[in-house]
Amino acid sequence: MIPVSDETGSARGGKLNAQPDVGPVGRVLGTADATPLQFWTAVNPGSYLQLDDVVVTKRDLPDREPVTIAGVVTQVRARHEGAQFDSDVFAIADGTLPAMVQEAAEITTTRVDPELYVPPAPGAVVHRATGDARDAALHFDRMERRVPMGTGRDGVPVFLNADFLDGTRGAHVSISGISGVATKTSFATFLLYSVFRSGQLGADGTNARALIFNVKGEDLLFLDHPNTKLDDRTREAYALLGLPAAPFPDVRVYAPPRAGDSSGAPDVSSRLTGVDAFYWTLAEFCDTKLLPYVFADADDERQQYTMVVHSVTAHLNRYAVPAEGGISIDGKRISSYQDLVDHIVEQLTDDDTRSTWAGSAVNMGTVNAFARRLINSKRDLSRLIRGDLAQRRPHQIKTADSAQVTVVDLHNLPDRAQRFVVGVTLKTEFEEKEKSGTGRPLLFVVLDELNKYAPREGSSPIKEVLLDIAERGRSLGVILIGAQQTASEVERRIVTNSAIRVVGRLDPAEASRPEYGFLPPAMRQRALLARPGTMFVNQPDIPVPLCVEFPFPAWATRKSESGPPPAETLRSIVQGADPFAVVGGRSGADDDIPF
Amino acid sequence: MTRMFVDAWDPSYGSSFEGDGADGPGSSSSAQVDLDVEVPAAEWAPMDVSAGARVPDVVFLVDGVRRNDAGLWTAEEDGTTYAGLAASYAAGVVRCDLARGVAELAGARVSRGLFTASPSATDVQAGSVRYEVHRISGTGEASKLPAAVQGPLTALEIEISAAARDGGSDGTDLLIVDGPLRNRRQLPRTIGYVKTQQKHYLPAAQEAIVPRLRPGQRTPVFHLGTVWGGWSWYLRLPGSSGAPWSGIVRVECSPELSPDQAIELAGVSVATLPRFASSAYKDPRAPQNLVPIAGLERRLRGMLGDARVLHRALSLATSHGR
Repeated sequence: MIPVSDETGSARGGKLNAQPDVGPVGRVLGTADATPLQFWTAVNPGSYLQLDDVVVTKRDLPDREPVTIAGVVTQVRARHEGAQFDSDVFAIADGTLPAMVQEAAEITTTRVDPELYVPPAPGAVVHRATGDARDAALHFDRMERRVPMGTGRDGVPVFLNADFLDGTRGAHVSISGISGVATKTSFATFLLYSVFRSGQLGADGTNARALIFNVKGEDLLFLDHPNTKLDDRTREAYALLGLPAAPFPDVRVYAPPRAGDSSGAPDVSSRLTGVDAFYWTLAEFCDTKLLPYVFADADDERQQYTMVVHSVTAHLNRYAVPAEGGISIDGKRISSYQDLVDHIVEQLTDDDTRSTWAGSAVNMGTVNAFARRLINSKRDLSRLIRGDLAQRRPHQIKTADSAQVTVVDLHNLPDRAQRFVVGVTLKTEFEEKEKSGTGRPLLFVVLDELNKYAPREGSSPIKEVLLDIAERGRSLGVILIGAQQTASEVERRIVTNSAIRVVGRLDPAEASRPEYGFLPPAMRQRALLARPGTMFVNQPDIPVPLCVEFPFPAWATRKSESGPPPAETLRSIVQGADPFAVVGGRSGADDDIPF
Repeated sequence: MTRMFVDAWDPSYGSSFEGDGADGPGSSSSAQVDLDVEVPAAEWAPMDVSAGARVPDVVFLVDGVRRNDAGLWTAEEDGTTYAGLAASYAAGVVRCDLARGVAELAGARVSRGLFTASPSATDVQAGSVRYEVHRISGTGEASKLPAAVQGPLTALEIEISAAARDGGSDGTDLLIVDGPLRNRRQLPRTIGYVKTQQKHYLPAAQEAIVPRLRPGQRTPVFHLGTVWGGWSWYLRLPGSSGAPWSGIVRVECSPELSPDQAIELAGVSVATLPRFASSAYKDPRAPQNLVPIAGLERRLRGMLGDARVLHRALSLATSHGR
């Protein structure tokens, strides 16, 4: 075939496309290589293509059905044809030099049907894909269960394949983006909402539980409060996605006890009702071997003192006896974390008792290293590990007994305490799951600042729990929705185990790291200026990340926009869960009766 | 000491004035020249743009390009042989809407021909392209064939320039034809634009005026009495090197116009053309090769198609025919 023809406006390839309703937007270019996976399209004068538009073209083959090649626009460019010098633009604008503005769009193939990887023929007509063609191009037609996650640039819903979310074929979500504008937590909560309310996961979706750690501000504490700023446009956006615009129906919020408060009242300032305090009793602390979680690097082989950590843990586990909330060890009654620390340090520094606590081969330097760290933890953890509160009072975070969504508020806690809560809670939940041996009900764990809990370097008990979840959680029904500013600083095995990768606005230096290799270059550049509410979602089904705009939350994200709280939150968990609660406590009394 | 100037034109295009003389056109013309059209011959002096000169909002510029795609030889039944030339040529019109600041291709047509004296030659279909046979009278030596292309090309230019104005003409537009008008003189409001000066038309006294022109000035209108003659004048474009004859173009219009009409056109041309002058670093024939013409030629060359592809297609087509 000769690329020179005197026919102007020939209809080459025009008959191939069987979509008379959608006008052609251009033709495949012949001046750049057209390959099966990527090709350029010249855009018709008067038409336009924007990034993320979905297009489709066809290629006729001898003796075979035609091949449909569909793709998304990953780059667009416009240039003056007929201009040689940069300054020619002035002559063109002046009206003296004839030139033509020609736009071209780079198309990255998303689907070839039937799977015959031939390039599209230059000159072939390219159509905008709509309706079924668009669904096919983005593989939505092959998704049995599609979880809506927002709309594309064209305002039509885009979906997530539930198979890659619930562990059927993959699990875990990794969300990256800079703080403030990337809206990582908002997207995570919206995704959860969609899983719970879209009905796509059937009974799994209804029974699923979510455990959300609130690390910053109190913005996740109002998930069950309607958003007063919700307008009709947002409601329409929800309707378009087939979701009701409502807050989460069933939420329970846990907060740490107020520091220095002996009653154990939860430490929150904006949400006043329906918040319960969580803490661990000293007996639980000793019995379930929680001491290693006090230390950030307790599993690090390079640290000598970790040996002491483990032998002290074992000692406490063996000899501590519960006694009225506190414990009794070596004949001594201990009723607070400070006392426990003091007692351990005293025993370790005493030459007579050291060997029974830490073994015989430990030198004094190692003991001191341990003691120094342990003493440091007193201030941070004393409000969480208690010996002065009633044991029967429910105080543990347990998603199985909790509401559909369990929010654990950590934002008031210092770093070490946050790590302790996350580590212990996840370990407990994961062990529960292991014990039950079934992957159902699903448990979604939303954890921001994953780089803090599972950093790329070093080792810690918390990181081990997260790695366990990342690697085995899929079969046990524990799905990690991790968010971080920088995926490059998170343990690689956690990132690689995430089937779904989401990127919001990125830091320029971060965007160039190999962790974001799944983003095509143009999209990587766009991620630098993504607006809040815009995310790029990569899922294993679709070879190109999709640009998603998700609607404004239908639930309150701060006190000022929160509507009236639902009636259930006015009742305390104390009444709800404690069988020894005041008679009638479950019957809907609206006031919190102190225990 | 003699002052020297480097000619602005790329040497491969020759010079903007050709001939033996170092400053000005070479051969003298034998044409009858009437110098007293605008001002008496004795009062000739450079003329500025007149205050009331009208600049048309719309200027059309017509040009054509040609390329020899392949030389051919025919083998006739009777054993004789004729030379042939397969050529592609194209003509186009640029419509410069100066008021709106838009220059667009108002029309372009590509044609291909097989020029030969062979009585038995037929059209050649080379791939998707057809070379229509143009039979030449006479012996048809290979050296004369290229000149034969000019006729169809000029015809194409006339056709296209008439068609360009069909789209709407306000009656005040101006059509600029690249090269002498020749048989295009019947087009209305048209000037011919001659880039290279090959002949002396003016007597020495008046010709001395020409190097004295400053950019944007013209000579008075004079009348040439040759076959293709008509009203004519010289003007200097801006951006010339300063050499005596650099940036000088000769403009002509149809002899059928009245002297007043010709003078008016001269005024229009001197107000219009300088705007289109090209700059030396962009165009090897600056400033005479006008910017729209250069752009048009580039577009037209692009439309001719790839020479190597056509050459190969022709070779294939002719070898299949054997």
